Amino acid sequence: MGDLVSNLSLGFGVALTLQNLGLAFLGCLVGTLIGVLPGVGPIATIAMLLPITFGLDPTGALIMLAGIYYGAQYGGSTTAILVNIPGEATSVVTALDGHEMAKQGRAGVALGIAAIGSFFAGTVATLVIAALGAPLTSLALIFGPTEYFSLMVMGLVFAVVLARGSILKAVAMILVGVLLSTVGTDLETGEERMTFGLPFLSDGIDFAVLAMGIFGIAEIMRNLDHTETRDVVRQAIGRLLPNRDDFRQSYKPVLRGTFIGAALGILPGNGAVLGPFASYTLEKKLAKDSRRFGRGAIEGVAGPESANNAGAQTSFIPLLTLGIPPNAVMALMVGAMTIHGIIPGPQVMTKNPTLFWGMIASMWVGNLMLLVINLPMIGMWVRLLKVPYRLLFPAILMFCCIGIYSINSLPTDVMFIAFFGLVGYMLIKLGFEPAPMLLGFVLGRLMEENLRRALIISRGSLETFIERPVSAGLLAVAAILLVIALLPSIRKGRDEVFTE
Amino acid sequence: MSSLHEGSGPPQRSGPVRAPQSLAGGVVLLALGALALWLTRDLDQGSLSSMGPAMLPRWLAVAVGLTGLALLVFAFTKDGETLERWNLRGPVFVIAGILAFAVTIRPFSFGTLSTPGLGLLFAGPLAILIGGYATPEVRLRDLVILALSLTPFCMILFGDLLNLPIPVFPQALTGLFPADWSQKAVLRATAAIMTAAAVLVFLATRGRRRGPIDVADHSGRI
Repeated sequence: MGDLVSNLSLGFGVALTLQNLGLAFLGCLVGTLIGVLPGVGPIATIAMLLPITFGLDPTGALIMLAGIYYGAQYGGSTTAILVNIPGEATSVVTALDGHEMAKQGRAGVALGIAAIGSFFAGTVATLVIAALGAPLTSLALIFGPTEYFSLMVMGLVFAVVLARGSILKAVAMILVGVLLSTVGTDLETGEERMTFGLPFLSDGIDFAVLAMGIFGIAEIMRNLDHTETRDVVRQAIGRLLPNRDDFRQSYKPVLRGTFIGAALGILPGNGAVLGPFASYTLEKKLAKDSRRFGRGAIEGVAGPESANNAGAQTSFIPLLTLGIPPNAVMALMVGAMTIHGIIPGPQVMTKNPTLFWGMIASMWVGNLMLLVINLPMIGMWVRLLKVPYRLLFPAILMFCCIGIYSINSLPTDVMFIAFFGLVGYMLIKLGFEPAPMLLGFVLGRLMEENLRRALIISRGSLETFIERPVSAGLLAVAAILLVIALLPSIRKGRDEVFTE
Repeated sequence: MSSLHEGSGPPQRSGPVRAPQSLAGGVVLLALGALALWLTRDLDQGSLSSMGPAMLPRWLAVAVGLTGLALLVFAFTKDGETLERWNLRGPVFVIAGILAFAVTIRPFSFGTLSTPGLGLLFAGPLAILIGGYATPEVRLRDLVILALSLTPFCMILFGDLLNLPIPVFPQALTGLFPADWSQKAVLRATAAIMTAAAVLVFLATRGRRRGPIDVADHSGRI
């Protein structure tokens, strides 16, 4: 406990310097600004804004990136409530009741409770990270390559179970993702694999390029296909602060949502995505009158939004303690850390305590910023949302090009976002969900490395994965999950959760 | 690839294919698996105790192919989604815009041919103007104003304030300004000129804005 306090005070000492406060503020602001644009989710936002953090010192850069991430998340919720276009999977649920509330002239209250719930969830999640950081880091030290490999297998199984639509297609996407990660020079033998002899492929496919193509460019192409009207609320935004009744109705959903989101966010394999869905389902089950859901129930915004933010934050835990990015956003964080010469993993906390704890403290600061800057600026976001898409998308396109070019100064990278954009568009058209592919890609290289090491240690015996207890346990969990997901009754329930 | 699957299937399914989307997906996965196998044909697989470079890719390729095969089988046994209609305009112009940016931002050579490096000053507007045509609702005037105002904003933000190593304008441009001007000064002056041009275009064509066509536009279609 004493450790926790001293660590957090060290962190706040770093996060509360004028420069870092400014960076957190700026990050939140531009993150929201880009994230609020319809069809631009956190992944594309971070990939686009990554270059603006290059000139900073590592701590400042990560604080700013974390700010961008929260800003983009919150921007996505704003869009979901005001326009009914969820920017990403996690704000789908918010759109259900949030947009109804907006239509009833209660957009301000919906946004207010979303911000307040998120702030509370963020505060709890910050404490969870601070408390779990140290013990999990020591756990990481007893993990060998065998355990790492099994953990990542479990993460990928999670991603399959959590993906929408056909399980077979999700498995295929994961495999394609891992296959893509093997493109490039083989680290141990130095031989080139599947590079077509092209020099720019010898370092492998850049993650930011893949993510920007699949989530930025493909999204533009997809949006251009659909000519549905953008349903920006015409009603007044109304007062922002929820009244006493609103608070009375939503404090329990916020508490439950925070707990669910924080717990799911820790899981590898993008567990955070499940948080809002789980919270919404739970609130609907617990409500006295479940018919209110879908018609502007404040619980349906408060719970999922808290779960969303708690999960967004606790998903830093696998990255900071084990060095395993649990989702695509965290993979971009790995990219950012590597650019600044930091290798994510258990050693960050011991070697770079100011960075580690400063970043954790800045998460709380970032949440506070969101509350402070977003509520007064709602009017501006609404005006931004009214800009027609025919003007928005060329601007997004140019920002994508500039962002990706600035990372490596390679024109070929820019060409590749066009290529992967087309690939992503094709995948969407063929009913494949691209998110599992990205996760497979992210974990692929780590998996191969650990698989090789594990097999060298065991002298080629695959039994090592079952003989070592921790590894066997992780694989068993993965197997059970997969079997459960394939059971017909559960599959039906799973489909219901996602279509709701 | 896209033209192959052009057009959605008729509502009544004809023939043995019951899920055209799965069929197409299966074919793509099989092709991908085959491609990966062909690309790794010369590489050493090694043994489990010392894996060679081809071990993982090869087995993954086989697995991808198997999922493709399974999808292919399901396409004939289970009812599923039809293929959506492919819209070529969007992807073609978006890709053309990105490629235009890529080849003009700095000198780029295809074999013997090489493009001049024009920098952000030209690459940005090119991306906006070409990419903007991806929607049938395109309006050139708005795109021109957008390009003329957003480009100087990005030049100042990325080139001046953030000092990113992105080429901003062609070297020839400095010749147009007094010799003792620094790069930054030229950058700022160019940005100012572009912004002025944007305002000018906006004011000069403002009269047409009140036309009856424009009024209907604020429905915010996307």
